[in-house]
Amino acid sequence: MEARAARRGELSWRLWALVPVILLAAVVGAYVASGASIAGMIGASPPQPDQFDVRRVEFKPGLIRIRVTNPQQEDLTIASVTVDDAIVPFEVDGSTTLGRLRSRTIEIPFEWVRDDPLTVGITSSTGIETVEAITAAVPTPGASARAFLGYGIIGFLVGVLPVALGLLWLPSLRRIQQRWLTGFMALTGGLLTFLGVEALFEAFELQAAVPAALGGPGLVLLGLAGSFLTMTFISSRFSAAGGGVIGGVALASLVAIGIGLHNFGEGLAIGTSFAFGQLSLGSFLIVGFMIHNVTEGLGIAAPAADEGSTLSLPRLIALTAIAGAPAIPGAWLGGFVANDVLAALFFGAAAGAAFEVVAEVVRYVARRDPAGLRSGYAIGGFFAGIALMYLTGLLAA
Amino acid sequence: MLGKLALDGSAEAAERQLQNHVHSHAASGHAAMIGAGAPAVGGPTDLDGLLYPPPALPHQPGRVREYTLRAIDKEIEIAPGVFFPAWTYNGTVPGPVIRATEDDILRVHFVNGSSHPHTIHFHGIHPAKMDGVFEIVDPGGEFTYEFPARPAALQLYHCHSTPLKKHIHKGLYGAFIIDPKEPRPPARELVMVMNGYDTDGDGANNFYTVNGRSFYHARYPLTVRRSETVRIYLVNLTEFDLINSFHLHGEFFRYQPTGTGDHWEYTDIVVQSQGQRGVIEIDFNNTGLFMFHAHQSEFAELGWMGFFNVID
Repeated sequence: MEARAARRGELSWRLWALVPVILLAAVVGAYVASGASIAGMIGASPPQPDQFDVRRVEFKPGLIRIRVTNPQQEDLTIASVTVDDAIVPFEVDGSTTLGRLRSRTIEIPFEWVRDDPLTVGITSSTGIETVEAITAAVPTPGASARAFLGYGIIGFLVGVLPVALGLLWLPSLRRIQQRWLTGFMALTGGLLTFLGVEALFEAFELQAAVPAALGGPGLVLLGLAGSFLTMTFISSRFSAAGGGVIGGVALASLVAIGIGLHNFGEGLAIGTSFAFGQLSLGSFLIVGFMIHNVTEGLGIAAPAADEGSTLSLPRLIALTAIAGAPAIPGAWLGGFVANDVLAALFFGAAAGAAFEVVAEVVRYVARRDPAGLRSGYAIGGFFAGIALMYLTGLLAA
Repeated sequence: MLGKLALDGSAEAAERQLQNHVHSHAASGHAAMIGAGAPAVGGPTDLDGLLYPPPALPHQPGRVREYTLRAIDKEIEIAPGVFFPAWTYNGTVPGPVIRATEDDILRVHFVNGSSHPHTIHFHGIHPAKMDGVFEIVDPGGEFTYEFPARPAALQLYHCHSTPLKKHIHKGLYGAFIIDPKEPRPPARELVMVMNGYDTDGDGANNFYTVNGRSFYHARYPLTVRRSETVRIYLVNLTEFDLINSFHLHGEFFRYQPTGTGDHWEYTDIVVQSQGQRGVIEIDFNNTGLFMFHAHQSEFAELGWMGFFNVID
């Protein structure tokens, strides 16, 4: 009897938790039903900007394809389309009126000129024209087996190969003095810091181009926190398994994961830029990325060289794959299904992973070296890592 | 195939031929911008009131010609699905054609039914207090302009409230014909007011038209007969751009600047600054579809393009 009453009491308190939700729904409903009368007490609200968000412009033989999204609260209607300030016939895959965050594809039969700059304009029913400038019209690669292979090879060249080469320093690192190894560990921390800052900047830049309704800096924070917390969780598991100390192969694995996430983002950026003709993938650029990324292999090798831990060949291959291979799916994704929202999220994640690993490396150096973080080797190594990334990065700029 | 257009003779047959022509060339380029392929608003007779002026009356000094112009704020559709919040005289951009014969007394009742102060400023010779510059008519107000119509010329009228640029580009203007004592020879008479619309407020036009709707006469070519003279009263009221122009394909025509004097230029292109105007007379030598458009390619491709369909 008493137990039942207690249970009933508990149930009613649980139901009570629904009361704020129900009341909120009622108030929201009442406010919406009141229309503009409350806002009208203060003043007339300004009209919507009526600008489209141009997601993607593709060039096919005799055809321009534009993907647009309605980023605003109110409906937006595609009324007229221009190419280089000339009204052109067009077709839309559905209704020309777009609800909030709805997207449409506009197809324009057009004999565009290869390598020429070009502008496309989408005019709303209120006459507001959204203009997107294309630096150079180049055929958008389709999802052919050839293009697939091409992006794969580029991903391999800028991701897997340099990391593998960098790991070949492992035997040399094993033979150097402890304080030098500390220096190299700090170097790993420095270069990861560089990668993290770079990724974060890229993420914010991408986020700025995303419609406000989908983005905001919170999008970047979401990616960053997601990966940082995941990495923290993984490292706690590693340290539990390794008796509380995280170092050696476990730390090398963490570094590899951090670098892998970064290389995924890098592949994504390269693929997207290439697909949109924003980047001429000259051999020099690829070479630049390769040299830049060899240092990443060094970053993984440094913690692995410590502890005298043995690394079997399959383990080494696995580390290489974790750190380098993500560049390949990154390039595919960027090349074929580029999406600014996903890209901002991924770059945020890459930054989060890099920063988490920096924290691990710093903790490790502080614990391992008698002089800790204040040794000349640690300070010099950290700065050298940043400087190295900056200098090799100039090659890819 | 265009040659065949002439053989049937009737306007209906010409329309049929036009549609055949359109369907067989529906690929791209200009061929796509004719008939049903041209993106223009409305039906085939919508702009007749602006295109065809009221008839010229014989010279009769002192006769009173009365018009009423009402300023109305109105959203107009200028291209399919594109709406422009216009300021209009009598609900259209351009406003109605005002016509008088020299020495008529012109009496124009102006009623401001809009939400902004406006005036009507007429070109021509008239007293200072009838100039539409100082007598600003507030919303709800009225004013009657009265003056003798002179000199014989193609004139224009427009609002002269400030900011002037805004009051003009929003649509407050129209053609104003003062016929000479000696009437012009009979002709098929048309009025074309060249204009533009800056729909996104960046100080540059997004659409160009004659008589207010882009590509209208590409959608509905103007059918005229080879046997008749085509007289066009051409007025430029394009804001923002320094000049506008009229070019006719496959033909030369006579052009009388401002519609005055004995000097006629023989040409196929006319260039006018804002406020300039003149009379064009065309005697077509051939039948078929002849394009006319601004010879600023950009204006042509933003709506200022049409066709004559010349039949026998």
